[in-house]
Amino acid sequence: MTQDSITLDETIHQPTRLRIMTMLVSQPDPDRMTYGFVQKSLGLTGGNLTTHLRKLEDAEYLQITKEFHNQKPRTWLKATPTGRQAFANYYTNLQKILNWNPNP
Amino acid sequence: MQSTENQPSNMSPEDGWRAIHSTMDQSRSSMYLAGTSSILLLWGAVMAVGYLLHFGISSLATDFADQYPWFPGPLWGTLGTVGFIASGIIGRRAGQDLADNHTARSAGLRVFFFWLAVTFAAIFVPAAAGMWTPDSGSLVPGVVIGIIALGYILFGIMHRPALAVVGIGIAAAYYIPNYLLDDVAPAVTAVAMLVVVLIGALWLRKSGVA
Repeated sequence: MTQDSITLDETIHQPTRLRIMTMLVSQPDPDRMTYGFVQKSLGLTGGNLTTHLRKLEDAEYLQITKEFHNQKPRTWLKATPTGRQAFANYYTNLQKILNWNPNP
Repeated sequence: MQSTENQPSNMSPEDGWRAIHSTMDQSRSSMYLAGTSSILLLWGAVMAVGYLLHFGISSLATDFADQYPWFPGPLWGTLGTVGFIASGIIGRRAGQDLADNHTARSAGLRVFFFWLAVTFAAIFVPAAAGMWTPDSGSLVPGVVIGIIALGYILFGIMHRPALAVVGIGIAAAYYIPNYLLDDVAPAVTAVAMLVVVLIGALWLRKSGVA
């Protein structure tokens, strides 16, 4: 196996999407986070966050649900089991690349 | 707000590794800071009201103050209890705006126990030093403010430096007027506390989730 043969998931390997996925998978399953919390924590514009969320949702890495809480709309974001597995694989591959030793 | 819409995805593995760990730290700190700016404002108001009442009773209702020299105890005890319950309600609501039950509850409990420990220290350190007596009771606020300010400084060092600065501001708002002024010190402290927490709360809100 060579270092080049280890591939990183392109859906996750993008600065904003990586940070979104990190936030969501850092919560124990099946906990969710609100859209507002993710947006403020990462310092993103609404449009920017929505664009990246759509890509992650299309890949079935996260689930977006809208609910009403005290008559106020609230959008929840949750990493799906597929998303958690993809992130775990991404993390493992990242470690392999970073620990790669061509002369063992 | 940073724009990343057009950011290329040719991030290096090292950058990816760093992004994962900094995001985890940032996310955890943001969770612990839920509702902090509102709670800070609440305590600023509690302390300002306390010092204004303390000053008002001592200087305007002198007969009452002479008859009940221990009045600061019940006054601060009542205000502190109201502040503590209100902080819990604000923190709980703020947590519900961030994440689901388990995550919000575990973050909220850690913050609650941190401040509970600070509160116990503020009560028991003067007690252990034998200060809760009519003769040395006037020294208690200085110790209590010092411990609360230390709480803010420690919490700020761990989660957001702005809070550490607020802690230093709270200490300055109490110690400087009490060192330089005499009778009007509580009134000046009340105003200075309000100014410190207002600036602190605005700073925290501007710098992210709080």
